[in-house]
Order: sequence, then C-alpha cells, then structure tokens
Amino acid sequence: MNIAVMVKVLPDDQDIVVTADRKLDASKAKPVVSTYDLNAIEAAALLAADTGAATTAIVAGPASVDDSKTKKNILSRGIDALAMAADDALADMDARQTAQALAAMVNQADGIDLVICGDGSADLYAQQVDVQLAEALGWPSLNGVTAITAGDGTVTVERVLENERETVTLPLPAVLSVSPDIAVPRIAGMKDILAAGKKPVTMYAAGDLGELAPAAVEVIDVSAPEPAARKKELFDAAQDGELDAFVAALKGAL
Amino acid sequence: MKALVFAESEPAARELSAGARTLADEVTLVTFDDPVAGVADRVVTVTVPEGHPKEDALETFYQVYQDVQPDIVLVEPTRRLKTIAGRIAAREGASVITDAMALADGVATSMYFGGVGVRTAKAATPVTFVTVAPGTFADAEPSGTDAAEAVAFVEPAVPLTLVAREDLPPAEVDLTAAERVVAAGRGFAAEEQLGLARDFCQKIGAELGCTRPLTESETWFPREAYIGVSGLILNPEVYVGIGVSGQMQHMVGVDRAKVSFAINKDKNAPIFQQVDYGLAGDIADVLPKINAEL
Ligand SMILES: Cc1cc2nc3c(=O)[nH]c(=O)nc-3n(C[C@H](O)[C@H](O)[C@H](O)COP(=O)(O)OP(=O)(O)OC[C@H]3O[C@@H](n4cnc5c(N)ncnc54)[C@H](O)[C@@H]3O)c2cc1C
Repeated sequence: MNIAVMVKVLPDDQDIVVTADRKLDASKAKPVVSTYDLNAIEAAALLAADTGAATTAIVAGPASVDDSKTKKNILSRGIDALAMAADDALADMDARQTAQALAAMVNQADGIDLVICGDGSADLYAQQVDVQLAEALGWPSLNGVTAITAGDGTVTVERVLENERETVTLPLPAVLSVSPDIAVPRIAGMKDILAAGKKPVTMYAAGDLGELAPAAVEVIDVSAPEPAARKKELFDAAQDGELDAFVAALKGAL
Repeated sequence: MKALVFAESEPAARELSAGARTLADEVTLVTFDDPVAGVADRVVTVTVPEGHPKEDALETFYQVYQDVQPDIVLVEPTRRLKTIAGRIAAREGASVITDAMALADGVATSMYFGGVGVRTAKAATPVTFVTVAPGTFADAEPSGTDAAEAVAFVEPAVPLTLVAREDLPPAEVDLTAAERVVAAGRGFAAEEQLGLARDFCQKIGAELGCTRPLTESETWFPREAYIGVSGLILNPEVYVGIGVSGQMQHMVGVDRAKVSFAINKDKNAPIFQQVDYGLAGDIADVLPKINAEL
C-alpha cells in the first residue's frame, strides 16, 4: 500500500504581529507544519509501520514553504519521502486550488492508495481540502476519522461525528481526514532528524501541476479584532494577602 | 434569489431557513429523514438506505441542487454536510466558505488563525456556498409551507459500507447555558487534580469545561466540553481559566465574558493580558487555599 499524507506549511501564529492599523503581519513568522497535520503524519506513519506501506508527504504552497528545517521536521516523523511544490504562484490558494495542486501531485506520485489529511489547517480550518481533493481525484472520502485498519483493498475506519460514532469500510483508493485524537505526534530523536536529511525530496514548480483554476473565493479583508477591554490586574500568590485579594475580586463578581 | 439549505438538526434547519429567507425569495431545505414544517417553501427529505453512511447521499443532494439551481447554499457546519457541500461545490468549480459568523450581501465573516484575525470573504463564483455558525441568524423568523417531498436515493458511484453506528451519550453539561464557566487547561498535571477544579466549581456555582488538549491527548473530558474556535463559543457572566495559557483558539470562546479570571503559575502567561483578574500561583498550592476561602 502507498500512503500519501497532505501537509500544510504556514506561518507560526505565535510570530504573527498585529500592526498599528490592526492588520496581520506574518512576514517575520517562521514556517511551521500546521498543528493538526502532525497528527495526520503520525497516523500515516503508524499505519505504514503496521502494514509495511510506503509513505509520502505532499506539500504545496508559496516559495517560503521550502524550508530545510520544516522538510526535516516532516521527514523525521516516520515518513519515507517528500514531494513539495514551493512556488509563489501557489500562495494564498483557496481550498479548491489547493486540492487541484495536491491532486496533480498525488497523480504524479503514482500508485497512491490512501490519502490522509489533517482535521483542518491552523489558518482557515475550513475542513474542505480533503473533500475537494477527493472530488478532484474521483475517490470516496470520510472525515472525523479516529482509527484506521487496513483490509484487502479497503480500509475500515472509526469516526466520531457531532452526536454519533460510526465504523465504515471504504474501498481504496480513498481520502481520509483524521481527527487529532487519532495519534499523538511523536517527538523525533536526533537519529531521526539526521536520517531525515537523507530521505528523497522531489521538488515541483507550479507549472508542473497543470493550470491552476481561478480563485473561487475572494478575500476582502483580514484584520485583528479589537481585544476586549480587561482590567489585567495580576496578583501574586507568593506575596502576602494577594491570594485573598484575588478571592475578594472573585467573590465580588459572583 | 433562490436559496438552498442543507441541515441535519432541526434547530439548524430552522435558523438557516430563516436566514435564507432574509437573503432569498425562494427557500428549499434538504434534510435527512424527517421534514421540518413551516420553515421553507419546499422541504426535501433524503432517507439513506441501511448499510450506507449518510455521506452516500451526495448524489441525491446533488440532484436536488441541480433541480433548484440556487444562488446561495447555506449549510449546517457538521462533518457530514461539510463533505456533501464541499463535493458539490467542487463539481461547480466553487469553494465553501466555512463557519461564517455573519453573512450580509454575500460577504461572510469568519475567524482566521483561530481568532488572531477576522476574515471577510465572498464567493468569486456564481453560486455562494457557506457553512453558517449557530446563532448567526438567531433573530430571523422562519416562515414557510408544510410542503414536503421525499426524494429517491441515488446510489453513489463508489458506495461505502456502514459497519456499525451508535449515538454518543448525551452531553452531561450544557456549558452554553451556564452563567459561570471554569476552564481547566493543561496546567492540570493529572486527572485526579481535576477534583480541585470540581470543588472550586461547586463553591462558585460554575460548570467545568476545558481547553481542547484535555479532550484529545488527554481524554479527561468529553469532546463537547472544550471551549474555543473549534468547540464552544460562550457568553458567560464569569469565566475562570485555570492552568490555561491563553492561546487565541481557546480565548475567542470566552472573550465575551463579563468578568474574567485566570490562575497560572507563569507570571508571563498570555492569559493574564486577556482577563480582568489574574493570580500567579501553582494550582496544587493555590486552588486548595481558594476553595477553603470560598
Ligand atoms: C486549528 C486549531 C483549532 C484549535 N481549536 C481550539 C479550541 O477550540 N479550543 C482550545 O482550547 N484549543 C484549541 N486549539 C489548541 C490551542 O491552540 C492551544 O494549544 C490550547 O488551547 C492550549 O491549551 P492549554 O492552555 O490548556 O495548554 P498549554 O498551552 O499547554 O498551557 C498550559 C498552561 O498551564 C500553566 N501551568 C502549568 N502547570 C501549572 C500549574 N501547576 N499551576 C498553574 N498553571 C500551570 C502553564 O504555565 C501554561 O500557561 C486549536 C488549535 C488549532 C491548531
């Protein structure tokens, strides 16, 4: 079996700066793997270890995603190979465009049976790339997956929805989006990080992925909301009487 | 204008149909199994045969979509409907705008980076697809006929097999209705330590929720107890975050609280910049003392 895991690389939100006019400036932010894609990588690695499958991580985004630390980070987590399209023509893609770029890369990777996506990206959390990708590939898809068992040309998954729990069998090839509780991301050791530097990486340019569809969504504005006005009074429990003052404030609010 | 509503639950069917009525003069609701009366001009019900997950209704929903030819599709943000709407949007060359908190003149407002930003966007395609957060159309009144029709199930190209299905146990607490809410974060070292938080809640008459990690890597809470952008957005009188760092993804769920408090052992924890009263101290040390004083 060949497993591909879709990984979004985006600016670390801890480094995003709110400017004076309340816009977001991510220009100083270092690229990181979107939080819940780490759980997807782990799920792919565990399933591969279980079944002897080969794993490829697939990334598409602007030129800034081509970051050696990020590439090593992905490849140190039990993933065999990386395919990456890093091109500013692929910046700010909507779910449909992302899915098209990824579909082209899945098709070029050849022989992929199972695509695993994370629960949602840290920026938009739209939970749409998995379904758009499945539609582009013409494969079935399911989201909210909490466990995967490989069968003969099938996978059987457990999933948790808003009010229900299900077990469903899908014929392969298929696309799954996994819930973060499927697996806790590993902490890679020094050896894994060193080995990651030797794993195969295939780089693509936007032109290798066919013509990108026009944007389906027009972004009008992104601004930081005005923070709620708060008193910000800080008491230190190590100082005499301050815990009591905190409790008094609490009692005053009840 | 024609609007199509996809909803699974009755409250969402009502709210989204009412919202659709403010945007369009013709409203069609598509839902599973039982029709909802008096909210739309036309209600279409889809019954999925046994042995299929409900996502297999994609082709059936698509047929209704093609029949109605809507200008806008309003969708309840459930996992199943995000799949069905997403795949229909893909077929139409469109993309779904998700979790809109406001929708006016085709412009949808939603969160960016878990609340670090707020984004406004609109469809660049002829049809707008949008999933709508609960409460967005809280003030709209639904109206409609009792006309309901059941459509025949259309078999998908690649059917899936439903092996087992069960209802999750109902939520034990309703945090959305609670006036006082305490959130436990990863600062709690062990599940036993949550007893301190429970005692605290009892003393101040609060319900206990948590941050998302406590439902995932630690399964100390049911999923419906976590507060934040991907969980519950609350409106309490009082919020107390204990062992919570103050990441935006969590704080957007409580930033409408009237008065807010935090307890954290790190004086520099970001949460202290986002509450009215903070106490720097270790849970194990300060919470027993606070409980004794209450
Ligand atoms: C797409 C996406 C969506 C998300 N949605 C949500 C969401 O809806 N809700 C949500 O909560 N999170 C969400 N998250 C996760 C979020 O980003 C944070 O990781 C999470 O809120 C942090 O939880 P925490 O504050 O409990 O843990 P941490 O950030 O680990 O903070 C623990 C805090 O406890 C303090 N502490 C430690 N020990 C003690 C002690 N003994 N006494 C006192 N204080 C102590 C520490 O100083 C620290 O500040 C989301 C993330 C992503 C990427």
